[in-house]
Amino acid sequence: MLVVSFPHLLLFLFSWTWGILATTPSHEEIVGEFFNQNAHAGSSTSNHTNNWAVLVCSSRYWFNYRHMANALGMYRTVKRLGIPDSNIILMLADDAACNSRNRFPGSVYANPGRGLDLYGDNIEVDYRGYEVTVENFIRVLTGRMEPSVPRSKRLLTDARSNIFVYMTGHGGNEFLKFQDNEEISAFDIADAFEQMWQKKRYNEILFMIDTCQANTMYSKFYSPNILATGSAKLDQNSYSYENDNDIGVSVIDRFTHYILEYMEQINKTSHESMADLFASYDPAKIHSDPGVRADLFGRPLNEVRITDFFGGVSQVEVGNGGDGEARASPSGTTEEENSSSEERPAVAVNASQAQQKVAPPSRPAKWRMTRAWGGVLLLGVLVGWVGFKR
Amino acid sequence: MKSSLDVSLVFPLLVAGRLLLALTSLSDALKHNHQLSSPLTSYLNLQEGIYLFQNGIDPYSGGVFRHSPLFLSLFTTVLPRSRVISSIIWTLSDALGAWALVQIWRTRQRVAQTSRDGLIAAAYLLNPYIFLSTLALSTSTFENTFALLALMFAAKGAASPALLAAAFLLQISLSSVLLLAPLLLLIASSPISQLASPRPFAGNGKKIISLLIEFLVFTVVLTLASALVSGGWSWVPQTWGASLTLPDLTPNVGLWWYFFTEMFDHFRPFFLMVFSVHLLIYVAPVCIKFQYDPLFAAFILLGILGTFKSYPTMADPGLFLSVISVFPELYPYLRYPIVTTLLHLHAALLMPLFHHLWLNQGTANANFFYASTLVFACANGAALTDCIWAGLRIAIGEPQEGFVVVQE
Amino acid sequence: MNALRARLRAQRADPNIVRIHRKQALVAVLTRRLHIIKITLFLVGYLWMAAIPSPRLGRGTYIDENALGPGQVNTYWNWGDVANADRYLEQLEGLRDNNATSEERADFLMTEFLKLGIPASTQNYVFTSSAGNVQGTNAYAVLSSPRTSGTEAMVISASWISRTGEGDGTLNLRGVSTVLALANFLKKYSLWAKDLVFVISDNYVDGMQAWLSAYHGAIQSNLQADELELASGVIWTALNIDYPGHSFSHLGIFHEGINGRLPNQDLLNSFQQISKWTGGVPVLVYDHQDSPQTDIPSWIPSAYHEEIRAYAYQSKNVLRHLGYQARGRGSGVHGLFHQFRIDAFTMFGLPATGPHGFHAIGRIVESTLRTTNNLLERLHASFFFYILTTPERFLKIGSFLPSAVLISVAMMFGGLRIWSDCAWIPDLSDKKEAGPDKWIQRSRPVIPVLGIMLSTYMLGVVLFSAITTSWFINNQTVASTLLLIVVSTIPLCALLIPSQDASRAAPISQLLKALNLCFASTVISIITVVNFSLAMSLAILLGIPLSISSPSKTLSLRLAKFAPYIGLALGWICASDELRKALWDWEILGVWFAPFVCIVYTPLVLQAGLVCLLPL
Repeated sequence: MLVVSFPHLLLFLFSWTWGILATTPSHEEIVGEFFNQNAHAGSSTSNHTNNWAVLVCSSRYWFNYRHMANALGMYRTVKRLGIPDSNIILMLADDAACNSRNRFPGSVYANPGRGLDLYGDNIEVDYRGYEVTVENFIRVLTGRMEPSVPRSKRLLTDARSNIFVYMTGHGGNEFLKFQDNEEISAFDIADAFEQMWQKKRYNEILFMIDTCQANTMYSKFYSPNILATGSAKLDQNSYSYENDNDIGVSVIDRFTHYILEYMEQINKTSHESMADLFASYDPAKIHSDPGVRADLFGRPLNEVRITDFFGGVSQVEVGNGGDGEARASPSGTTEEENSSSEERPAVAVNASQAQQKVAPPSRPAKWRMTRAWGGVLLLGVLVGWVGFKR
Repeated sequence: MKSSLDVSLVFPLLVAGRLLLALTSLSDALKHNHQLSSPLTSYLNLQEGIYLFQNGIDPYSGGVFRHSPLFLSLFTTVLPRSRVISSIIWTLSDALGAWALVQIWRTRQRVAQTSRDGLIAAAYLLNPYIFLSTLALSTSTFENTFALLALMFAAKGAASPALLAAAFLLQISLSSVLLLAPLLLLIASSPISQLASPRPFAGNGKKIISLLIEFLVFTVVLTLASALVSGGWSWVPQTWGASLTLPDLTPNVGLWWYFFTEMFDHFRPFFLMVFSVHLLIYVAPVCIKFQYDPLFAAFILLGILGTFKSYPTMADPGLFLSVISVFPELYPYLRYPIVTTLLHLHAALLMPLFHHLWLNQGTANANFFYASTLVFACANGAALTDCIWAGLRIAIGEPQEGFVVVQE
Repeated sequence: MNALRARLRAQRADPNIVRIHRKQALVAVLTRRLHIIKITLFLVGYLWMAAIPSPRLGRGTYIDENALGPGQVNTYWNWGDVANADRYLEQLEGLRDNNATSEERADFLMTEFLKLGIPASTQNYVFTSSAGNVQGTNAYAVLSSPRTSGTEAMVISASWISRTGEGDGTLNLRGVSTVLALANFLKKYSLWAKDLVFVISDNYVDGMQAWLSAYHGAIQSNLQADELELASGVIWTALNIDYPGHSFSHLGIFHEGINGRLPNQDLLNSFQQISKWTGGVPVLVYDHQDSPQTDIPSWIPSAYHEEIRAYAYQSKNVLRHLGYQARGRGSGVHGLFHQFRIDAFTMFGLPATGPHGFHAIGRIVESTLRTTNNLLERLHASFFFYILTTPERFLKIGSFLPSAVLISVAMMFGGLRIWSDCAWIPDLSDKKEAGPDKWIQRSRPVIPVLGIMLSTYMLGVVLFSAITTSWFINNQTVASTLLLIVVSTIPLCALLIPSQDASRAAPISQLLKALNLCFASTVISIITVVNFSLAMSLAILLGIPLSISSPSKTLSLRLAKFAPYIGLALGWICASDELRKALWDWEILGVWFAPFVCIVYTPLVLQAGLVCLLPL
């Protein structure tokens, strides 16, 4: 393993030093100018090169159907706007589609008329059921993964990634329940985002959460370039929108429903800004006070396009190849190397232990009985000795 | 009336009655009861362990069997294992305990026979807490018998048997080691009631060191025997360790289980330490205060064990209540015996009831049963504090007109 | 400096004495006022009981369990299914007119289930009891859940005989045909997360008892029943359909189980909502309607009329609840499920000329099943203690339980007071001192008193074993008179106990009264959590009578005082019908009301009677 990666390391070191030492800024500038010519005058564009989405439904059980539908509704929207499945991490804590109580097996609907099957046959759930844990969610964000985790389950972002993080479930003041047995706190998410920032794992983040007292969840963020919005303020519940009378449960939450409704008029080339989206919030319809937090965010909201987060990137930046590699590498690879080198010996030790346990053949019954009788004899001798001593 | 309590007549009658009861199928109904046997004393677990042992599986490798290896060796060799014969053995163990209690009483009174002997035997054999546990084939029966035997030998001044019995007791119940201190004092002094005339310890203090060494030798030998039987040391964390680390949270009548089900894991070691040390802190004060009457000190420690130990059964407080019969001098000075009795009555009715509501009927939850065990703990605590009060109060003498004795 | 120290010492010494004096004064005040405290407790307790039906005490019902989601589904039970039910009804009426035997009926039902493609079977059973044998045949069918492993199940049941008049023989033909038609209808759904078990039990309650015992493998010594050929998972809920009339105007909820156990209130609340909103059928508790109260005296301000009407209606419900729960009988077939931790109730179609029929009941059952199908875990433990005053109002445990507990506390205070009084007697030897009475201590002979108490319990056991013999059941009038005479004369032996020197030992009668009150109080307060109605009845029957028992000097007065206690203790022997039912319940269903009365209640009252008989 190490032998194989040695040339890589050399190559990497070489290219890195070359990248640092290279004194040819003119090339980059020329390309930059070329692209800036086509940009709209006056708008501060996001300088991201790829888009990712992490969509989490953290609650299980049939009566939380709507949370599954919330996440799937967002999934459909971001996919429609151009983020490919490979860039979407979808976490569903329960399988509402295949629940035996579902009257429409294999389908999940988010509106009472059941017009649109959100589950369908074109869906890729990355984490499902009991895989949806606080630990896994934080691992996804921070990229600290076991080496065996496949690429489809990783958030392979870099410093030019815009990430849309959507969470839904049952929550409270500064926490969100996962699976009915653990919870993630606002501090956990804030720290995870900070770690991501330090590891250069994002350019900008849109954090959206639909749960009771949702706005408390983003109150602890302190890392730059995060735009956050939530469905309800402290001590407010977040309500469901509508029931389907054949499914028999609520199918979507109000906040998510109205956002999705708004998103339906957006397409890949729309120029609507996040400010427009936030302006569409109507507390009277949502039955709670949605909140927005933009103080960490660098750009004015009316210049941030919705498609910066919900859509796939349509801009290309021609950068210096070596440079990009240098940015992306440090965190990811070393982490994996370390963990793998630790993992190997541990497995070996386990195996040898198991062998040791199995190795001695089960002792014959005679020996066991001798031991038992030996014990009795010892007791007898002791009692006898004490008895006769007097 | 008095002659009818003649022990030579009453004792066989009581034992016969108990044997008849033991032969009924009552024990099959009771052996699952959580109040009568704990994971450390349950007959079902014992059977499981013996089965595993006979089939070549280390019984201590799982989390079920927590009895001493000595039980394994006895039940796979000399003792039969059928349910009926087990019932008889258990009942005979109780009879032995009752006999020891009568002997303790006689030694304390320095007479060969008294009219109260029968009453004392009855107080042990007819105590429902004790005989129901015995019917449920809980091994706490043996703990009680060994405790009484140790006290009896110690009262009679037979040092080695007393220490051997104590060593056996330690093997089957770690927390009973609390009794060691008063036991050594008892061997070194006398069992005569000195409650009315407190004075410094009068016995031979130097003897205690040699007694302690003898006890340690017995304990080491028995521990080695246990290790021989189980073929290793894996039994130590499973038996002794269990009463310190509380791995099995099956509900019982004690105060530990609920507390540790509610506990956050990172506080657990700390509170385990607190609970275990809490048991220890009583030993020195009780032994120092009652140095003139170590039998009484042992009695008080029995009460503390029955209330606060990690895996108690009904039989543990039962032993304390039965031993009260050896101290009739306390009775006039008890302040609220009726309250204690009523508390015990309530607890004894509420515990099985709430247990049933919680686990069978499903209309209540664990809090109900825990509340009833709290009532039980209050009842035990009331009995204990009242006895301590009375034991101290005797020394002040008959109440005088115009004076009140209060505790500050 | 020294003076300061002295003062400090004085201050330090003082508080102790002050505290002792204060404590003594407090105890003195309490003991002096104990009588008033006791009376206040009694008064508050009884007034509280009287206030239980008051509309001010209760609160509106609500659904506690999120998963249930009642009434949120469309129902598809339709007129075609009603026509099916009608066809089944015709066939059942044919069976009835031909006087078909139990086996024939069960075979017919099994065949019908099998025709629908649902595995079905029958079960024969015989109960032996001192009143004679009871036998019958149950039919049942198990519709396996199409998409789960079938570890959980729901029961839809109907008994052959309706609960009208507690099983007076009215047939539940429409209930049975509803179950059959429902089986046909429900099998079309694929969304069942639990198995559906359809049970048509024979007779009124005994059929279901046999079926449930066999299902759960419970051993009942006097029951011989076939083992069930078809099995399913753990039963969580059961709906029992009772529809005896031609049509119905209301659906009545019957919920009391045997031995005082109630089903989880969420189930009843869900049903109530579904019936009201999905089915459009008004719901009642039990089968009586809110009869308009006619004669409210005119001098009462009209503002209170509404409240008085509500009180009158709710007290009727509460009294029926008391009657069912206290006797431990249960109010229908559903009550048997409770002993196996299954939440169940009976929906009773109140016979009327209209407007509802198969169409409404089918839809309601369909929707209720969708709701119970949603259950993921056991309903919450906090919802088992309640009193339903109307379908939409109930009392929480905290608003009714204290009433009985207060009375038990009052009795306990009374007992403890007598106990402590027994230890002292005023010293009458030196009367010349004018100061406060000198008190001398005397002993309290507990052992003979415990002996007396024990013998009353033994008498109770004997009494109970006597009334469970078949001889008693067969010659009830003679036997009960005989028993009454024997049991009431045995306590007269107490007249032979000589009077003792009161200055040495406390009189036995006082000690007996003290222990009797303490024990009765314990029994009442402990029964409250198992069966509140029984505890409340005990509090009413025992509270005052046990507290006022007292010995007297003359023989005639003693006997005169004793007589009412005998009436209170043994009066139930004369209620022959009630007694027969209670004994039948004990033998067939295991209702412990009869042994409880004989072994706990009667001895307690007898002890109070003995207090009157014993010498002063």
